[in-house]
Amino acid sequence: MASPKSKSPQSIQQLDPERSVRGASYLNKTAETPDPWALCATLEYGGDRSFAFAVEKLIVQTPQSEWGKIEERLLATLALPGCTEAGRAFLCKMLGWVGSARSVPALAGLMREATTANVARTALELIPGPEASAALREALASLRGNDRAGVIGSIAARRDAEAGPALAALKGNAAEPAIVRGTAARALERLASS
Amino acid sequence: MKSQFAGTETTMSSQPLSLTRRKFIQRSSLATAAFAVPNVLPSRLFGQGAPSNRITMGLIGAGNIGTAHLDTLLGYTDVVRVLAVCDVDRERRETAVERINREYGSSDCRAYADFRELNRRSDIDAVLIGTPDHWHALIAIDAIRNGKDVYIEKPLTLTIAEGRALVNAARKYNRVVQHGTWQRSMKRFHDLVEFVRSGGLGKLQYVECLIGPNNRHVGATWQPEPVPEGLDWDMWLGPSPWRPYTFNGCHYNFRFIADNASGQMTNLGAHCLDIGQWVLDMDNSGPVEIEGNGDFATSGLFTTPSRIDVTFRYASGVPMYCRTNLTVSGNNTSRFFGERGWLDIGYSKMSASDPALLREMQAPDKRVKVPSSKNHYDNFFTAMRTRERPIADVETAHRTTTVCNLGQIAMALGRKLRWDPAAEEFVGDEMANRMRSRPMRAPWSLVSDLAESRPTT
Repeated sequence: MASPKSKSPQSIQQLDPERSVRGASYLNKTAETPDPWALCATLEYGGDRSFAFAVEKLIVQTPQSEWGKIEERLLATLALPGCTEAGRAFLCKMLGWVGSARSVPALAGLMREATTANVARTALELIPGPEASAALREALASLRGNDRAGVIGSIAARRDAEAGPALAALKGNAAEPAIVRGTAARALERLASS
Repeated sequence: MKSQFAGTETTMSSQPLSLTRRKFIQRSSLATAAFAVPNVLPSRLFGQGAPSNRITMGLIGAGNIGTAHLDTLLGYTDVVRVLAVCDVDRERRETAVERINREYGSSDCRAYADFRELNRRSDIDAVLIGTPDHWHALIAIDAIRNGKDVYIEKPLTLTIAEGRALVNAARKYNRVVQHGTWQRSMKRFHDLVEFVRSGGLGKLQYVECLIGPNNRHVGATWQPEPVPEGLDWDMWLGPSPWRPYTFNGCHYNFRFIADNASGQMTNLGAHCLDIGQWVLDMDNSGPVEIEGNGDFATSGLFTTPSRIDVTFRYASGVPMYCRTNLTVSGNNTSRFFGERGWLDIGYSKMSASDPALLREMQAPDKRVKVPSSKNHYDNFFTAMRTRERPIADVETAHRTTTVCNLGQIAMALGRKLRWDPAAEEFVGDEMANRMRSRPMRAPWSLVSDLAESRPTT
């Protein structure tokens, strides 16, 4: 019979020694309790995500009256130099749940780059208010191809009637790829039915 | 109050019926509002008899569940001809196509890596969708827009917003959509519904749904891996957030990753909560209050809860509980408790507080009658012919899937939520309302135009 000791929980390093080096490296760096918010900027696909889990739990338990403080922390983390791709995706997802007009300038900046537009849109599409709608309309001009089609989808989801003229122009522009023209046409149908 | 997702759909003009099988399937539904259509149509029109009259189908998703469906479809030799298979995994689609052509003794069935090409074949009447959950809505809507009837695996969609969009599309284009909640076609569940609704248990006190355990443990961290040859990983991800490939994050196990599915809450919950909804006569509505808690792994690949415990309360005051059954691996069952005792009805077993209750349940001539189906596929094919609603129609499916999604959101938030089933929105909870939909990765969206695909008839 195995001894009780052999059944004790393993550490992350014992479970997966190679992977523990990536996301969980902070465990060995300092004796102080690490700041889970800052660590969200270091999140890696496949790495330890326990700090992000803790932050998410904190966020969903925060009353709406306190969302402003949460939003500030998320934005500050998003602005950290070297924020990883996975970290940015997580932070934008959280901003989609609690974000407001205050988040729009940072997200609008991310919308200008094709490499970050998708994750920024995960927040912008869900944030209520004219500021987020305006940022998406602005992105229509700067993005191209598939990314532009994605923005059209977000505009349609928000039923942003102010985007009607821009969508009509895209629909009728033969220089646009079919997916942009067609998606603009469907978005106009959706706006008309709202 | 009108649903936020309801949208106004345009009315399609009535068009003359054609006597050809394909034309009939396409057009007959358009005329149902204006003309009396017979409930049973002559079999010579299609589906039986000469090979040219068989219903033609495409299979989209040839993995675990798609292959199981194929086993059945190949048995419908006089009714169905499978003409196409689509899967983003080359090995899977080619294996399925080789099998189909071998069974049929022909080379007619073709393989597709892109569902858009299959959906644009004008010689295919219906598609069966067995893909990961995050693809269900977009593929089904595209099929509907291209004139296909749809048999779609459960859960209907990944989000509440997707579900409403799919219902709208099915109604706008008058397409038959059968949801894969096949328990609706089992006699015992039909008997149960009529019995309980007829007062057979006396006043119904509560419903309890037990579902199999969730997730598998694959470690606190995971390693991105090279995409296997023949797998189009970008297309597999489709509208869901990008992540690198890893073996445990793809086929089958996707259901334990919240970006792609909602774990057993929607996988098994879609079956037993569906029976609860049916018994409670909530096929066009849902609960008004939800409270849940679940065990979520703090790290690792899998992000859906490994243990669930959700309470749904209906306007009638009857609660429906959904819990992880930790005693019977993989089993799920629906229990109904009333003044006269209880009934425990699962797909593989039945029991009751008193054997007499089971006998009463199975007796004919109950006061309340509900539509019946003896076979889920037959019911779908019949609905294709008659253009009537199938036993697990898309609105019913959306409402059941919404119950599952409400449970998932309640567990994620860990607090009591109030739900307005008419408006399809949470009352007084902004965060929960934002969780009703999920932005999609470009170029995909609920208004995606997929017309750039090449027609391949």
